[in-house]
Amino acid sequence: RIIPTSASKLPVRDCSHVLATLRACADGGANRLYHITEGSQHSFLPDYISGDFDSIRPEVEEYYKLKGCEFIENKDQDFTDFTKCLQILQKKIEKNGLQIDAIVALGGLGGRFDQIMASVETLFHATSITPFPVIVIQECSLIYLLQPGKHKLHVDTGLEGEWCGLIPIGNACDCVTTTGLKWNLTNHVLKFGTLVSTSNTYDNSGIVTIETDKPLLWTMAIKE
Amino acid sequence: MESVFTPLDCLLPAGTSVPLALKYNNPKLETQFGNLKFCLLILNQPFNKGHFHCLWSKATLRACADGGANRLYHITEGSQHSFLPDYISGDFDSIRPEVEEYYKLKGCEFIENKDQDFTDFTKCLQILQKKIEKNGLQGKHKLHVDTGLEGEWCGLIPIGNACDCVTTTGLKWNLTNHVLKFGTLVSTSNTYDNSGIVTIETDKPLLWTMAIKE
Repeated sequence: RIIPTSASKLPVRDCSHVLATLRACADGGANRLYHITEGSQHSFLPDYISGDFDSIRPEVEEYYKLKGCEFIENKDQDFTDFTKCLQILQKKIEKNGLQIDAIVALGGLGGRFDQIMASVETLFHATSITPFPVIVIQECSLIYLLQPGKHKLHVDTGLEGEWCGLIPIGNACDCVTTTGLKWNLTNHVLKFGTLVSTSNTYDNSGIVTIETDKPLLWTMAIKE
Repeated sequence: MESVFTPLDCLLPAGTSVPLALKYNNPKLETQFGNLKFCLLILNQPFNKGHFHCLWSKATLRACADGGANRLYHITEGSQHSFLPDYISGDFDSIRPEVEEYYKLKGCEFIENKDQDFTDFTKCLQILQKKIEKNGLQGKHKLHVDTGLEGEWCGLIPIGNACDCVTTTGLKWNLTNHVLKFGTLVSTSNTYDNSGIVTIETDKPLLWTMAIKE
């Protein structure tokens, strides 16, 4: 997991049954972690904290340093803390031979609009950083960038909320076909200024398939 | 100042044009690069496939005049969906039914004009000029950011399409003829120099976003 900096509060949720192989914080994400685990921070120590450290609070930095967490500084202003964290994560996955299926980023979708866009930009760069799918979750939303090709999403965990959407962010998609949605597309254009699929929902099949010719952002509701 | 123009610049591969100031040894020339910004009109005559691909890839806006759509459809056979015109205009007496149906399905704009006093080419050009003006394809913007209500951050987001040529002043991290594109560069967490004015020139729609002081 990666916890990026974000202005919104993270929901308090019992995810104790969820197992993460590796856990990291991107700069001010450490503040969020420190706050949300108040009273038992020692049981929730990240494997590393990375970034340019202009957001992490001094007392938070001191605490995790004291507890022996790895701090990896990168002052490069051409990349966001999220992107840099992802680059380090991939190196660690390779170095330690970790068997994983996906990378989950917590936060990054709230507060400042430009930072939400920066999270999306990181998803675009993620394809050249890591082969693993990267999803971003915050509050009631999830985003996942679909690469050109065919995708099959299982949406029957019981945690799916009502809405979902397909957002041609960054580029038009000339040819999109879906099944499993209430409003499906067949070889349709998705393009800002022409058509963007928002407030869509599911048929009851429990499966959504999407075929796209260009990168396309899938977004869905997480039940509260 | 005399007018300076390179007629065949449009057929040069992107990026190989010599900066005008360098080429004509005149540092006063305004444009920094010789990369001509042009709109492409496709007319109803056979044309060279090599020329087509070069012009298509470099054009800011692409249009078909009536039967020009047939030509486009034919020359892009197998991948028509990757070569969709911004609009097709004319009296539509030449466009073939299956071609019309295809581009309509793909959401291309159809602008009908049955006026027989003008050719399809002329009508296409009239529409083009309106679009250049309306869409601010020579889009220069000047934003006053000195109300006192501005927060720290600002950004430029190429949200629905790449912008091939963006130039700014007044920002901490300015751009000069730069690409803005998801996967390449998106301007976020930017901020202001202290001039109180931001200017932005863009070739395509570009989303400006800024903080409001709490």
